[in-house]
Amino acid sequence: MSNTRHPHPNGEPRASQSDGRPGRNFNVVVLRQDGPGRPSYWERHIVEYEQDMNCISVLQKIAANARTADGRKVAPVAWDCNCLEEVCGACTMVINGRVRQACTALVDRLLQDNPEQIELRPMRKFPVIRDLMVDRSRMFNTLKKLKAWVPVDSYLDMGPGPRQSQENQQMAYVLSKCMSCGCCLEACPQYLKIELERKEGETEEEFHARERELHDRAFIGAMGIAAVDLFNTNPVGRMTATERLDALVAEGGIQICGNAQNCVKVCPKEIPLTTSIARAGRAATVHMLKRWFDR
Amino acid sequence: MARHRVIVVGGGLAGLAATMKLAELGVDIDLFSLTPVKRSHSCCAQGGINSVNSLTRQLGDAEWKHFDDTVYGGDFLAHQPPVKEMTEWAPRIIDLMDRLGVTFNRTPEGFRDQRRFGGTLFARTSFAGATTGQQLLYALDEQVRRWEVTAHVKKYECFDYLGPILDENGVCRGSIAQDMVSMEIRAFPADALIIASGGCGLIYGRSTMSMACTGSAVSRTFQAGARYGNGEFIQVHPTAIPGADKLRLMSESARGEGGRVWVPRKPQDPRPPQDIPEQDRYYFLEERYPKYGNLVPRDIATREIFNVCTKEGLSVENDRLCVYLDVSHLPRQLLDRKLAGILEIYEKFQGVDPRATAMKIFPAVHYSMGGLWCDYERTAEGGLNIGSPRNQQTNIPGIFAIGECDYHYHGANRLGANSLVACIFSGLITAPGAAALVQNLNGRAAAELPSTLYDRETQRHLARYKELLARPHDGENPYLIHRRLGDVMTKAATVVRHNDELDWACEQVQDLEDRARRASLSDTGNWTNQNVIFTRALVDMFPLAKTILKGARLRDECRGAHYKPEFVFPEIHATDPVQRRLEAEAWCDRFVENNRRWLKSTVASWSAEDREPLITYEDVDTSLIPPRPRLYGMVGGDIIEQVWRERGVREEAAV
Amino acid sequence: MPAIRIENWERFLVSILGPSSPFGQHDFIIRRIHSLVGLVPIGAYLIFHLATNAAIIDGVAAYQHRADQIHRLGPTTIFVLEWLFIFLPILFHGMIGMLIVARGERNVANYPYGGNVRYTLQRWTGAIAFVFILWHVFHMHGWIRAEWWISGVASRFGGHRFDPENAYSAAEAIRASWLIIVLYAIGVLASVYHLANGIWTMGITWGVWTSPHAQQWAKIPCLTFGLLLGFLGLGSLYAMVAAEPPQTLVAPDTANIPPAIHASPRS
Ligand SMILES: Cc1cc2nc3c(=O)[nH]c(=O)nc-3n(C[C@H](O)[C@H](O)[C@H](O)COP(=O)(O)OP(=O)(O)OC[C@H]3O[C@@H](n4cnc5c(N)ncnc54)[C@H](O)[C@@H]3O)c2cc1C
Ligand code: HEM
Ligand code: HEM
Ligand code: SF4
Ligand code: SF4
Ligand code: FES
Repeated sequence: MSNTRHPHPNGEPRASQSDGRPGRNFNVVVLRQDGPGRPSYWERHIVEYEQDMNCISVLQKIAANARTADGRKVAPVAWDCNCLEEVCGACTMVINGRVRQACTALVDRLLQDNPEQIELRPMRKFPVIRDLMVDRSRMFNTLKKLKAWVPVDSYLDMGPGPRQSQENQQMAYVLSKCMSCGCCLEACPQYLKIELERKEGETEEEFHARERELHDRAFIGAMGIAAVDLFNTNPVGRMTATERLDALVAEGGIQICGNAQNCVKVCPKEIPLTTSIARAGRAATVHMLKRWFDR
Repeated sequence: MARHRVIVVGGGLAGLAATMKLAELGVDIDLFSLTPVKRSHSCCAQGGINSVNSLTRQLGDAEWKHFDDTVYGGDFLAHQPPVKEMTEWAPRIIDLMDRLGVTFNRTPEGFRDQRRFGGTLFARTSFAGATTGQQLLYALDEQVRRWEVTAHVKKYECFDYLGPILDENGVCRGSIAQDMVSMEIRAFPADALIIASGGCGLIYGRSTMSMACTGSAVSRTFQAGARYGNGEFIQVHPTAIPGADKLRLMSESARGEGGRVWVPRKPQDPRPPQDIPEQDRYYFLEERYPKYGNLVPRDIATREIFNVCTKEGLSVENDRLCVYLDVSHLPRQLLDRKLAGILEIYEKFQGVDPRATAMKIFPAVHYSMGGLWCDYERTAEGGLNIGSPRNQQTNIPGIFAIGECDYHYHGANRLGANSLVACIFSGLITAPGAAALVQNLNGRAAAELPSTLYDRETQRHLARYKELLARPHDGENPYLIHRRLGDVMTKAATVVRHNDELDWACEQVQDLEDRARRASLSDTGNWTNQNVIFTRALVDMFPLAKTILKGARLRDECRGAHYKPEFVFPEIHATDPVQRRLEAEAWCDRFVENNRRWLKSTVASWSAEDREPLITYEDVDTSLIPPRPRLYGMVGGDIIEQVWRERGVREEAAV
Repeated sequence: MPAIRIENWERFLVSILGPSSPFGQHDFIIRRIHSLVGLVPIGAYLIFHLATNAAIIDGVAAYQHRADQIHRLGPTTIFVLEWLFIFLPILFHGMIGMLIVARGERNVANYPYGGNVRYTLQRWTGAIAFVFILWHVFHMHGWIRAEWWISGVASRFGGHRFDPENAYSAAEAIRASWLIIVLYAIGVLASVYHLANGIWTMGITWGVWTSPHAQQWAKIPCLTFGLLLGFLGLGSLYAMVAAEPPQTLVAPDTANIPPAIHASPRS
């Protein structure tokens, strides 16, 4: 469904063997795009197999080689990464059709599933900056809109935070592992891409303000709903729960969720997103009724 | 009057703590980072964060003991006032982080739970699962976002800091940075600049550090005239998972929760680890260091693992060096509750469940104790005068250094779980100092200065950028040069150091630098050019690499992470009491003599003409805890300790 | 209007509708009403309606009896009830539902998880139900009970086949072609699936079943309900097809002319 617009470069030479055994080569196709608003195109690379490779080392090899399968010299593929151990969330991309982190996408497993080739493309729900790099600032804008923080009075010494049960801690810990990778949004059929072009004569500030406004009106996604759940169960965060609930039921709020539950399936941190969605749904219902009667 | 601004480079724990506190103090901040700050390297920290707590207090612990452990663990190379102040703040820092919503593990009664870490006998380490750094970072990230909404903080994420802007008096007036997307180079006026750019592990090619840990920001500040302290002290973590792209850390918390390190007594025993019976296992750390066992300080654990594999030939595998780290004897429920995060990493990358079989691990470059030299203002009691702009300020007026990229707190070796607390602490205390500096500036705010200064610097960096793009295409590949640099550094300047190897490495690095300066780019475009960012960072690795090598070459002793076998003090094997005593006396004399020569911080400054660091030495403030032999239960340690104690008594009597 | 690049037809729809909801700040309340209306009155009506139809399993007489019971309310009451509790809610739920369908990008091909399949089916069955109900109400009921419309338009185009006086007319209308039977079967199954799965998602939307465990368990009653209702619907469809014509009405000379048609001025 997704690949129809960009034909794969099947005419190009391919790696002769691709069964993933040591010393062999395998094919990697990358959906590239030189910049925002530019057309995207597939490019094939041949990568030499090594033990214990993941998609980051594949991309490193492509960068070091900077040649396509047919020997053309090309600019290296641009991509994001930092921690290389699936805690920073930077390297999220769509690998063989499924969104995930490149650093934990082990080549051996990918070749087991599809010995033909590995297919890399940028996330679809975020504007492409270049090649596999996307602009996920919308997620951080969502966190602003949801006031996803504990509103402490000051950073002075006021003693420890409130005591908490182990059970409460376990729940909060799981939710606060969210690394803003965006997998849950990429896989969500209800989360739609927003891409703006800067208008002529518009300053950067004006552009970002316009973008922010649009972000504020669009779906917050599973990760946003889970953030509300997290901060509204924190003993201090709870004190300002109403503000977060207001945002939860505002435009782009929880109501957009269609319960496809892809989010929980693709979340690399195994965050119980659908539990949060249901819990937040309940809170939103109560909040709505309260607001209705308090008018 | 224009408002004063402060630039913070780096959005790890240190940078975010400073930003948050500065914002509270009413200062406006421009925050720069290579990655969105939430993705900073601090999120990798797993094990925990140290502080004295009510539980350890009742077992006799006190801030002073935390202070003592830190100083002793660091082989007395750290200035003591900042360390003392940090350990005193530590409990309050944990309280603050607790209030900010960090999901610290809890006891059944609802108190924060603590675990034990290396180099101490107390369970001082608070933790949030096995992703403590991530949880701390997120809490600070959230607070900073709060200030972003109120427009006190402006974030410049995906910007590469290129260097400070100094006026004719050598005072910092802002910085230059490049937008990594549009590639635009801009000057940012500011009245103070805080460097919080983290470690420099990428100089070693593969390490436990993240890809942004190139040290570039530090190197650029160093090349602009800032001094660099204790460069040669690089911590190699004992337990990491060997990998092709990165050496992934297996946190000390695995041992803190009861994990054991061993090798089969029979070299390369082919049996799977779970089938090897107890009597055929060699728990070498527990046997050699009965008191601390698997939790000896990192430098010692690393060296023992290294030796067991290289000298004693007991590596688990034939073609690869590694030992077993075993948690399979621990209850599953405990593993899942306290260590799930790191065990999952092992499982994800090795495809083996560490709950069932022992993990294979080997040491890896992990942390830089050294960093930008910076000052402090001492109180009469030996603490810090909080609020003084001297704290954490480098030798360049207006530039501060905090977090992993400063040189305070850890001396010659860092204790586990002490870095997170040092990062947050240095960030928090720098804020009032920097605020005082910019608010009492008796001159114009940088924003009101004429633009000539800024234009000139912008042009200079633009020229450097253009030169990179315009290089001929037939030069060498910068990625391959980087790999080679990593190999050289790893060979010469990690666990065991030899002077001839260090000399060789200096030559190699010089050669590589010349080649890197000619390397050509495969991408010459002007949009999101990662090739440029990488190549420039590579070129900037050499000044730091040289500083590390030169510092190591010159330091003829063993101290903390810096280990030269030629200068090891002999162990005492004699059994005859008189002989033992004599040897111990000689040992202590040598210890005193060595300290007189080497208990000094290495301070490097960059000579742009020679492209070489100039090394000088600086006395260490050891006024609070006098240096003593660092023994950790080594063979013959008891008699040395006894002799040393008696000397102390005699000296006191003399006074 | 923000500039949004069009990548496929779904994107195209979105680009027309804008990235955010068409209901602005009222989105939440409208979506909750949409959800509620799906259950009551629409869902309740569906159960009632299929149960009514199922009376034909016991014979045309029983079915006629049911129809009489309903129509005893009188045309005005029925008119009011019909519009208030059936047509308007369905139009509301259906139109908003279609907007919702247009605002998602289905992706089962890449994420073939159970939940996603159910989600996608919920959209498809909604869309099918929309078309089916429009046609079906025209087919049986004729949409509007005004004489000029029924004789002038509805009957002319094969609509208004049901005569409450002669409930058997429904069976005949369905029997008229195998195509109609198939369309009815699809309509029944789509509606039933849509309701049963809708109840399950409602439980999440409103926060009745929150934990994964509870959500798993809730599938059982929803599935059981769906199966029972499906059997009921298909059973009555089968009974419609198999029904014997009512004996009392079979006069020898009009035996092969259905009364409903007989009564209408159709050429
Ligand atoms: C795997 C691992 C586990 C660890 N576990 C523990 C532990 O359990 N306990 C403990 O106490 N310590 C631990 N440490 C050490 C600790 O995590 C680090 O020392 C600490 O996080 C460093 O924080 P920082 O704020 O100084 O810098 P970092 O978190 O490294 O942040 C550096 C920031 O500077 C920015 N930056 C760098 N260069 C530039 C540039 N040129 N331009 C702009 N911005 C730039 C980066 O984008 C980033 O935002 C661990 C370290 C590792 C590697
Ligand atoms: C007329 C055409 C119809 C369309 C286009 C349609 C569309 C939809 C859509 C898109 C949803 C999902 C809403 C969401 O996820 O937020 C939905 C939910 C639902 N529909 Fe329909 N529907 C139609 C008819 C019906 C009918 C006939 C019934 C009753 C039998 C019904 C009952 C429900 C229920 C109970 C829900 C669940 C609401 C929730 O999850 O909160 N719908 N419908
Ligand atoms: C077994 C299959 C079905 C049969 C035999 C059937 C039969 C009928 C008949 C005879 C009528 C006309 C009633 C009248 O005019 O008084 C009718 C109306 C209607 N049917 Fe069905 N139906 C079936 C399935 C469905 C389904 C699945 C739906 C979807 C929700 C549905 C919705 C309606 C509606 C909305 C009306 C108009 C309401 C009214 O007239 O009061 N039907 N149906
Ligand atoms: S459950 Fe909601 S948020 Fe999650 S994928 Fe489905 S629609 Fe998106
Ligand atoms: S909830 Fe999970 S998938 Fe979504 S952004 Fe957070 S970590 Fe990623
Ligand atoms: S690089 Fe951090 S998640 Fe992959």
